Amino acid sequence: MNGEIAAILAMDGIASGAIYVLIGLGLVLIFAVTRVIFVPFGDIAAFTALTLASLETGGLPGTVGLVAVLAVLAAAMEGTALVRARALNRLPRAFLFYLVLPLVPAAAVWLAAGTTLSMPLRIGLSLALVLPIAPLLDRVVFRPIADASVLLLLTVAVALHFALSGLGLMFFGPEGVRTKPLSDVVFDIAGLIVNAQTLLIVAASIVFSGMLFLFFEFTIQGKALRATAVNRTGARLVGIRPATTGTIAYLLASLLAGISGVLIAPVTTIFYDSGFLIGLKAFVGAIIGAMASYPVTALGAVLVGLLESFSSFWSSAYKEVVVFGLLIPVLLWRSLSMASTDEEEAEE
Amino acid sequence: MKNSIVAAAIAASLWAGTAHAQITVGFVTSQSGPGSSIGVLYDRGMKAAVEYASSLGAEKIKLIQLDDGSDPSAATRNARKLVEENKVDLLIGTATAPSSIAMVAVANELKVPMISISPITVPATDSGDRWAIAMPQPPSLMVKVVVDRMKRDGMKNFAYIGFSDAWGDLVYNGAQKPAEADGIKILTNERYARTDTSVTGQVLKMVATHPDAVLLGGSATQGALPPLALAERGYKGPLYGTPALLNADFVRVGGKAVEGVQVSAGPVIVAEQLPDTHFSKKISMEFRAAYQKANGTSTTDGFSAYSFDAWLVFLDAAKRAMATAKPGTPEFRVALKNAIFTTKDLVGTHAIYNFKPGESYGVDDRSLVLVRLVNGQWKYEP
Amino acid sequence: MTAFQLRFAGAGTILLLALAPVLLSPFSITLLNYIGIYALAVLGLVLLAGIGGMLSFGQAAFVGIAAYATAWLTVREGYSPWFGLVLGLALTGLVAAILGAVTLRLGGHFLSLSTIAWGLAIYFLFGNLPTLGQFNGISDIPPISIGGYALASSESIYYLIWSFLIVALLLAANLLDSREGRAIRALRGGRIMAESLGIDPFRIKLATFVIAALLSALSGWLYAHMSRFVSPAPFDVNVGILYLLMAMVGGMAHLSGAVVGAAIVTLLKNSIQDYLPVIAPGASGQLEVVVFSVLFILLLQRARAGLVPFALRYLPRLQPSTPLAAGSLDRRHQPERGQPLLTVTGATRRFGGLVAVNDVSFELCAGEILGLIGPNGAGKTTMFNLITGALPLHQGRIGFLGGDITRRAQRQIARAGIARTFQHVKLRKTMTLLDTVLLGTYGRTSCGFFAGTLRLDRAEEARARAEAIWQLQRVGLADRAFELAGNLPLGNQRLLEIARALAADPALLVLDEPAAGLRPPEKAELARLLEALRTEGLTILLVEHDMDFVMGLVDRTVVMDFGSKLCEGTPAVIRRDPRVQEAYLGGVA
Repeated sequence: MNGEIAAILAMDGIASGAIYVLIGLGLVLIFAVTRVIFVPFGDIAAFTALTLASLETGGLPGTVGLVAVLAVLAAAMEGTALVRARALNRLPRAFLFYLVLPLVPAAAVWLAAGTTLSMPLRIGLSLALVLPIAPLLDRVVFRPIADASVLLLLTVAVALHFALSGLGLMFFGPEGVRTKPLSDVVFDIAGLIVNAQTLLIVAASIVFSGMLFLFFEFTIQGKALRATAVNRTGARLVGIRPATTGTIAYLLASLLAGISGVLIAPVTTIFYDSGFLIGLKAFVGAIIGAMASYPVTALGAVLVGLLESFSSFWSSAYKEVVVFGLLIPVLLWRSLSMASTDEEEAEE
Repeated sequence: MKNSIVAAAIAASLWAGTAHAQITVGFVTSQSGPGSSIGVLYDRGMKAAVEYASSLGAEKIKLIQLDDGSDPSAATRNARKLVEENKVDLLIGTATAPSSIAMVAVANELKVPMISISPITVPATDSGDRWAIAMPQPPSLMVKVVVDRMKRDGMKNFAYIGFSDAWGDLVYNGAQKPAEADGIKILTNERYARTDTSVTGQVLKMVATHPDAVLLGGSATQGALPPLALAERGYKGPLYGTPALLNADFVRVGGKAVEGVQVSAGPVIVAEQLPDTHFSKKISMEFRAAYQKANGTSTTDGFSAYSFDAWLVFLDAAKRAMATAKPGTPEFRVALKNAIFTTKDLVGTHAIYNFKPGESYGVDDRSLVLVRLVNGQWKYEP
Repeated sequence: MTAFQLRFAGAGTILLLALAPVLLSPFSITLLNYIGIYALAVLGLVLLAGIGGMLSFGQAAFVGIAAYATAWLTVREGYSPWFGLVLGLALTGLVAAILGAVTLRLGGHFLSLSTIAWGLAIYFLFGNLPTLGQFNGISDIPPISIGGYALASSESIYYLIWSFLIVALLLAANLLDSREGRAIRALRGGRIMAESLGIDPFRIKLATFVIAALLSALSGWLYAHMSRFVSPAPFDVNVGILYLLMAMVGGMAHLSGAVVGAAIVTLLKNSIQDYLPVIAPGASGQLEVVVFSVLFILLLQRARAGLVPFALRYLPRLQPSTPLAAGSLDRRHQPERGQPLLTVTGATRRFGGLVAVNDVSFELCAGEILGLIGPNGAGKTTMFNLITGALPLHQGRIGFLGGDITRRAQRQIARAGIARTFQHVKLRKTMTLLDTVLLGTYGRTSCGFFAGTLRLDRAEEARARAEAIWQLQRVGLADRAFELAGNLPLGNQRLLEIARALAADPALLVLDEPAAGLRPPEKAELARLLEALRTEGLTILLVEHDMDFVMGLVDRTVVMDFGSKLCEGTPAVIRRDPRVQEAYLGGVA
């Protein structure tokens, strides 16, 4: 191990870390507002990559079907709930949000299938198609059990991950994909070879961390989201709808997942089940940030990337053992440093 | 449980009336899980096989297919189910080595012949009896051919990088003896997971040893990861690999970085480039035609051909076994097993098969050729 | 349904199970074998998660450790499978003890996340150690043999598997009905209640964790010698999640849920495999996972409690047998009346900038009832928490029975002789009244896990039960001893808590608003009870808002306001004190 190798490994680690940052931020965002540890988050990032690859080869991605089915389900559930609550005046808006809006990109992709699209259009459509998935899942899967314990929500999230990766296998097959890079440019900085795609990823994670920070500190919507996270009942008392803030959180997070999927697809082979491990590693970063602080989450995610990079050099076979073994002392440290909320454990 | 008894009673009463001479074959492959990238190919190969010949004489062959999800427990359960419930005469499977070994254990116990389409060391029963054969070229042979070509090309050493799973083990272990015999040194034993996003660490270590050549122990899309990383690090030496790299995604994802890689391959891969006198030419073209008809696409991959060859062995053996026993009986299973183990000079797409009692594999040196990737196409390199 | 009928039904089921190989097809026996093996591991999960409240996704890793241990020992080293069992149990138990010691202090979702972490780490270890055959695994594992007879066929190992399972179920049922079993059942819902009864939650959690791991180890040993082959794949986190699904389908809070859940999920997977190709040919293998996950999600949304509780509603309820009175537990000698019992000196507690208890000092003498009163927010409950050790002091000393309890942990203080009730009643809703009060005797009894599992604790249990019945009689709830605590109205729940506290045979009884929510006749009953206790020599410290209740009952009062002590004295003196009047009424009358 000399300085040059260390530098290469470090850069590699930062590049992986940057991906984990984007996903880690999304995880923390969703947990903070909804108490759901959204395990399928990595799968959504993978779906974006797979959808983009599918559009690149001119095929019809199965994501269209998924979005359509989820939209119909969510609209039906919301409609039934509104009818039961005799709030018929809110039906049109609900339908617009849950049915029409998601179906627009789905229809667009369906119509565009088979034609060659320009890269910006492909990326835009992939993002637009994947964006509604998490909020729709929230409506269909999590809203009915919103008051359940964190553990139950976690179990449901894990089950959801299986469903999504299973669907991924059905839609996209077992083989991995790599999309065309956004930029082929390669820089030579002081003897180190850096490609522009990597720089883009790092830049994106910095930009989005910054934007999230600004959003939460300075906008009213951001503050509403934080309020819901701190105290749901209190938020409702001042007129914030937890359901709405939840949906906004999912939407924002979906955007992060989608962007990270688009960015990593050219540098890494993405399989139908890549999302899980990537999500878990990002999750280690999120735990370092105590599922609450965005800057520390970002640092934690970069740390995980670096650890992975260096341990793959020292002992490639045991890399996973090291990275997941790391999670335990981190959990210990975090659990001790957070105020123990003992009686939060409600009896089932 | 009660429902099973009732159903079994009804089925038995219905069945007792008909005296079947139908042969039933049970086929297990991985359609989900890590083995699915190969498993799906085996599935397509079997579809081509059934398209090629779906009956023996006057009787139609019944094929029951199950998915093991790349899980050996599921493979075991499926094998048991096929034998105990569906009463198959023959088992064929599966996509991963651990699952295939698990199935052989069941075949040995329940005394049903089995054709493994994964390259495994077939375990014998406690009494030394063998009920299963393995179709593909043994990994050691696959690697030996490649290592011998390395010697021919003047390589003194090579660095190895492969999957951190059963296949990676098989390739690495298979390279030990031929490398020693040919006087070539193995410099590294780097591994990476199928789901890894980067192999920079591993590749750095390899490049640091200044190898003459690199042996790739991966497969399909992820098999391209090391060549891409090696190219980034400025490695310009030759690449060698096994038939696991004969995959369209490997070629597409690898792009310029995998140009010129040499792999050992079954002849079927380059069937159209073979001379007409080559044993594999005719049957491989028939395989291609059947594949096109059954799956709607053309193929040059070798995995599906293993299913096809397994079917050929089965057809040949069953014809001989039917002369002495009736399908659906234990005697038929024994006869079928004996017939399989006395297969002589059966021409398949990959090899000319000769099975002998006590041996798992039935191929010889004729079963592998060297191909090189040129402009995205595999070229025959005699 | 009486106990005899239940045993008869049990015997009948066992007979049916024994005849199964004769009655059913070979593949059904294969399925039953898998069900039995899964049920063992899921039983551990039910104990751990369903009853103990520790959700674990990593049980499959423990199954794997034992499976690999026995595979290695029998194949590589040539020992008999029974030695493999010993090694498997020992190794799994050791790993579980270490992992548990490190991670069980985590609470809630942190613990569950850690189980995913080590589950994955162990799985990757399996696949990378060369002696374990890496990803090719270890094959040719010999079958188990009993006295020379090899259990190589499905039918023969069927008997072994189900014998083990039935024995495990019986032992687990014994355990849950014993002293430590009650402690396990008390884990779920927070530490404080358990600690106030002298239970060490961490020790109990660790023991439960190891027990669950041992059950998984048993499952792994059987699996290895049944399949005759091990590889990492069956011990993946996915399988751990499958176990969780089985437990939830069956009913996580019931032991029988393990068997029911394992059976349903296995049979369901089997029939999906059969019928899905008919509905969706071609992609059936991949659709299986999706269908399964969707069903799982629906189950979690609609029927979280699982199938067994649902079925239990339609089955006749088990009539509990009335316990025989059999001796009693040793009682403590109450200290001489008038001796100083509890001395609080300069107690101070801060919460950030707020000083909740500010330099409070008072003394409590044996045999008296002291009332702690004051307006809302005065710091009375915080004072209680300081005395019972639920919160640490920032400054000051607390002395009890001659010893210094300032730095002692809550459960040590409980064992020293202070028992308490809570302002918000802390009961386990699914425990019977009898079991709840029995929980109070935890500190006075000593039978551990072994004794409980093997039913060697009957004598002590009988004595403890007699004590519990007596306490229930004293509070007037003995006729409802077998009802669930959650079904009682609030007033009775408070009385139940008092009975539980009394069952601990304390020297000092600390009551936090015992009369809140009681109707006047109930309050009178309670006052009579407390007076009777005082006559017996018990010392009582209580917080109350109902002035009539307090003033007629207590010997002395201490008045607090804004965290400081205002004054103390007899009720008559307090009533006239102008500072007290100002604090309560805002002005002198």
